[in-house]
Amino acid sequence: MKNIYKPIEATIEDIIDETPNIKTFVLKPREPFEFKTGQFIELTLPGIGEAPFTPSSDPNVKEKIDVTIMNVGRVTSLLHNVSKNTLVGIRGPYGKGYPTDEFAGKEILIVGGGVGLAPLRSLLLSLFAQIDQYKKVVLRYGARTPSDILYKELIPQWSKKKKVNVVTTVDVGEKSWKGHVGLVTTILEDLPIKLNNAVSIVCGPPIMMKFVTLKLLDLGFKPENIYLSMEKNMSCGLGKCGHCRLGKFYVCKDGPVFSYEQLQDVRDIWD
Amino acid sequence: MNNNYYIDSKQLGIFLNRLNDNFRVFVPAVKEEEGSKEPDYFYKNLSDNQDLVFNPYRSVEPLKSFFTSPQERISTYFTAKSIIETPAKTVIFGLKNCDLVGHKIQDFVFLEGVEKDTLYRLKRENTIFISGDCTDFKEVCHCLAWNIMPYPKEGFDINISPLNDGFLLEVGSEKGWQLIQQFKEYFILAKEAQIATRRLKRESLVERLKNHLDPQNLVPKDKVQEIVKSGYDADTWQQFMLTCVECGGCNLICDTCHCFLIDDVKEKNQNAKVRVWDSCLYANYARVAGGANPLKLRKQRLRNRFMKKFDFFVENLGMPACCGCGRCIEVCPGKIDIREVLKDLAKKAGSKQ
Repeated sequence: MKNIYKPIEATIEDIIDETPNIKTFVLKPREPFEFKTGQFIELTLPGIGEAPFTPSSDPNVKEKIDVTIMNVGRVTSLLHNVSKNTLVGIRGPYGKGYPTDEFAGKEILIVGGGVGLAPLRSLLLSLFAQIDQYKKVVLRYGARTPSDILYKELIPQWSKKKKVNVVTTVDVGEKSWKGHVGLVTTILEDLPIKLNNAVSIVCGPPIMMKFVTLKLLDLGFKPENIYLSMEKNMSCGLGKCGHCRLGKFYVCKDGPVFSYEQLQDVRDIWD
Repeated sequence: MNNNYYIDSKQLGIFLNRLNDNFRVFVPAVKEEEGSKEPDYFYKNLSDNQDLVFNPYRSVEPLKSFFTSPQERISTYFTAKSIIETPAKTVIFGLKNCDLVGHKIQDFVFLEGVEKDTLYRLKRENTIFISGDCTDFKEVCHCLAWNIMPYPKEGFDINISPLNDGFLLEVGSEKGWQLIQQFKEYFILAKEAQIATRRLKRESLVERLKNHLDPQNLVPKDKVQEIVKSGYDADTWQQFMLTCVECGGCNLICDTCHCFLIDDVKEKNQNAKVRVWDSCLYANYARVAGGANPLKLRKQRLRNRFMKKFDFFVENLGMPACCGCGRCIEVCPGKIDIREVLKDLAKKAGSKQ
């Protein structure tokens, strides 16, 4: 009989230091485990606790799952202290993920903030895998400082790809930083996209998502063409435990990706 | 087809005792507090040859407590065998219509949606509901405000209504029907006159309850969603939260509240997931890793409780998540009365126009 709360086993194959407080864990599940980009999993530290994360890897790669995790809470701080080959549990995948089918033939603007680039990496990789289907991919990414930038080696590789345009900014620069300085909203001017055929996807801290959404609306994006990854404290992942309610929705099963059109009448979505 | 039977009181006791051989049978037991006008009823395992108590109104415990627990193990993992144990066959006697209606919310949460909760489903399948008409009500009872009658129409396996020296039984499901068949020596097919008497008794209680509720001017079912939504920014939440001590009692004793948190524990030879009832009045209910908390303030959490009950569930299930049982009113040490909160919102919504 199926127990919906029982995690399957996975081994931590590799741990990659991304920033001073963010690591990527490469998981190898011991049973087949598939996900769609943007869906999330509950990752269990056996006997200790679990927390929700959206994988950062290409969903087309079946045998491994990358999860990029910032050290911010009880479970994540303990995770940051485990070593390779540790056994963890995963359950899921949960939620609806990014509607990549709807992006076909479109110009795709992706705006990330901080560790919010993690789920977007999964999205980018799945878009790159079928880049013929899309007109263009434009990434705008903001981090607090140069050392907080995620995937430092990957971003330059992405920007060299055909049909891909990348700009990165930091809130606070330092001597060696030659790039943009300023909040991510400051690199949303003069975007190389045609609004009438564009969609945008935003993922980052709530305050960043709020101001980016306002900016995108200001630029002329329609609410139905702005997709947001909402963050809540999902516990069960199945629409039963009640924690992630957002108006008439549960973020875990109706999201975590919503169009702004779905959320614009919901109160306090940025809190 | 007549699916009504008569059984005399003594025989009903014997019938339940017979059921005790194959089921865990829970029956109400009275607990009279000194000086209290309203005795309370609590469920108890039926013991041999115990006199049967018919509770005139609902028990103290919510029906959900038979299906989920304040804390329970829901899964073991990373062990060779981890099977779901079949729950004990159970009969619950003395449920009221508020319990049955409120339980629709629990069924919706655990039996529908993305996935069914197997543990809940098995318990549900292994439990028989023997409900009963209300013959009295508590001060806090307000089912009628939500168009919920003080006697069940559906959702039971067997319903009983006191009648002279015995009870009229109505069969409400296949499970109920099988029980009646199995013990048919105790039951006599009901007469039309008995059914008519039941109707009169029901009508007379409804009348009494109406007289109790009418002067209260409660918010009606068809207006409640609009009222809580338009009262989102009202000062009602601030005003009523002042006496909230964040005990979570209102949620935990509510027949419709279902929130829980999953935690992990280490046991001797295995790891386990534990499900713990949660309360949206607790300070950390909505807190995310890193410390952000969309329900930071007590007034936000109090409002969340009402939005969930009267907006979310009306949107998603077409019914408010309140059955008018009044348990939350009785349990609240801060004397926060759900009826008064709604009335205050209605008053403020009215004055805004």
